[in-house]
Amino acid sequence: MKPVTLKGRVIVEGHCQAEALVSLKPISFLGGVDPADGKIIERKHDLCGMCIKDKILCFPHGHGSTVGSYVLYSLAKKGLAPKAIVNQTADPVVVVGAIIANVPMIDQVDIKKIRTGDTVEVDACKGLAKILRRRET
Amino acid sequence: MQLTREEERILSGEQGWANQTCMKILVRLGELFGAEKLIPITSAHVSGISYKTLGDAPIEYLKAMADANAEVKVKTTLNPQSLDPEYLIRKLPIELRNKQLKILKQFDRMGMTESLTCTPYYLGKLRRGSHMAWAESSAVVYANSVLGAWTNREGGPSALAAAIIGKTPDYGIHKAENRQPNCLVHVKTDLRNETEYGALGIHLGRLLRDKIPIIQGLQKDNDRLKQLSAAIATTGMTNMFKAGSTTERKKTETVEIESNDLKRTIEELNTASNKKPDLVFIGCPHCSYAEMEKTAQLVKGKKVKQGIELWVCTSCHVKEAATDAVKQIEKSGGHVLAGVCTVVSWTEKLGIRTIMTNSAKTAYYAPTLSKADAILAPMEECLKTALQG
Repeated sequence: MKPVTLKGRVIVEGHCQAEALVSLKPISFLGGVDPADGKIIERKHDLCGMCIKDKILCFPHGHGSTVGSYVLYSLAKKGLAPKAIVNQTADPVVVVGAIIANVPMIDQVDIKKIRTGDTVEVDACKGLAKILRRRET
Repeated sequence: MQLTREEERILSGEQGWANQTCMKILVRLGELFGAEKLIPITSAHVSGISYKTLGDAPIEYLKAMADANAEVKVKTTLNPQSLDPEYLIRKLPIELRNKQLKILKQFDRMGMTESLTCTPYYLGKLRRGSHMAWAESSAVVYANSVLGAWTNREGGPSALAAAIIGKTPDYGIHKAENRQPNCLVHVKTDLRNETEYGALGIHLGRLLRDKIPIIQGLQKDNDRLKQLSAAIATTGMTNMFKAGSTTERKKTETVEIESNDLKRTIEELNTASNKKPDLVFIGCPHCSYAEMEKTAQLVKGKKVKQGIELWVCTSCHVKEAATDAVKQIEKSGGHVLAGVCTVVSWTEKLGIRTIMTNSAKTAYYAPTLSKADAILAPMEECLKTALQG
């Protein structure tokens, strides 16, 4: 397939390529992600039980306590952080978390175009998300 | 954003990782909210201190910051911790105490005075119109609305970054044009006590979201306005209100509050009105000197009943200043706890299932954060329930 390029805004610079994990629900890192294994534990969340480690984590925006920023740092220290974060609208909790955890991040991306399992390249220096390959069905 | 040369240098890492990270946080947040520059602040107040609410995740970050020689540039105060150094420290498991101490140590290394209070405004007079970076939503609303000092509602990490840099991005309520009231609240009933001020706040927070109201019908009683501030921030994003006279001209949006609105809110917050409380709690937000004196007056010559605990929470500064009141309360069998409150401590580990309080904020959080039922009533009634004789 021809790569699909989605334009966004740079929040934290970086460059990487990985499998996408996409949610259409906001994520609260405090209480919503287990800091011990990187799995989403918020009940009724569409990603409940999924691990965010090494994924291009795409979700609309964060919510919940500002302690969530520290959770992202802690995940990164344990090697459990996502490779990159792609948001629809960045919010302070996730922005601060991505900065201190040094996780590449872009926002203002139409995340509905990306599907879980797609191979995505994030150029967080230019603010681009490229869908390289669609998930094999 | 327009940065000064010095700010650019910090951002490029010339002053080390800690300063660079903090500067990055301020600049990125500034860009996010449309700030054009950073402005100097006179003080910072950092939330996220209690081990109960923080958990283990932040300890590493705070330690890394302190290891990298992060140091505050302005007077920085801290929110309450999960236990006090005299009473709860002996009742709670030692491993919790040790974790809490580990957190406090990191803040101490960065030069933050261990004030441990949600009412840092009692520690020293704030200059009207001065810019600050405060977390703790109740203090943010009180500072903006009652004391006339200017601060956005910061989160724990952004307040910490502002403390280390000594600046904050110039957006939101730091700009005079964003401090103009945009709706009118007409309270059509007499507000009789602090609990009704709290109920008004809970109700308004839900209605107004982030609007700035002019509220008609408020008394000039700072302790009651403190209850309103805490409650309005609990349910909404409102960062300030203005007390208005009845001659205020009509705004495009007008909200009318009837006595029934307050009654319904209080009923809803009372999840256990017929039960006997395990704990009677005064001091959310932390007691002022005047509230300490009032409590002491009401407990004078009486004893706390068997099977009930009485906690009066305040800062260590107010506790030290109000020695006579403290003696009186302790003589009656109550506990004056410094630097802590029920919301950020482990009341559930002490077998407390029902909390009676005069604070609408505490009543709101009791079922979720403290796994307890709540009884909401004015201070006089709370103390009457707690005491005999």
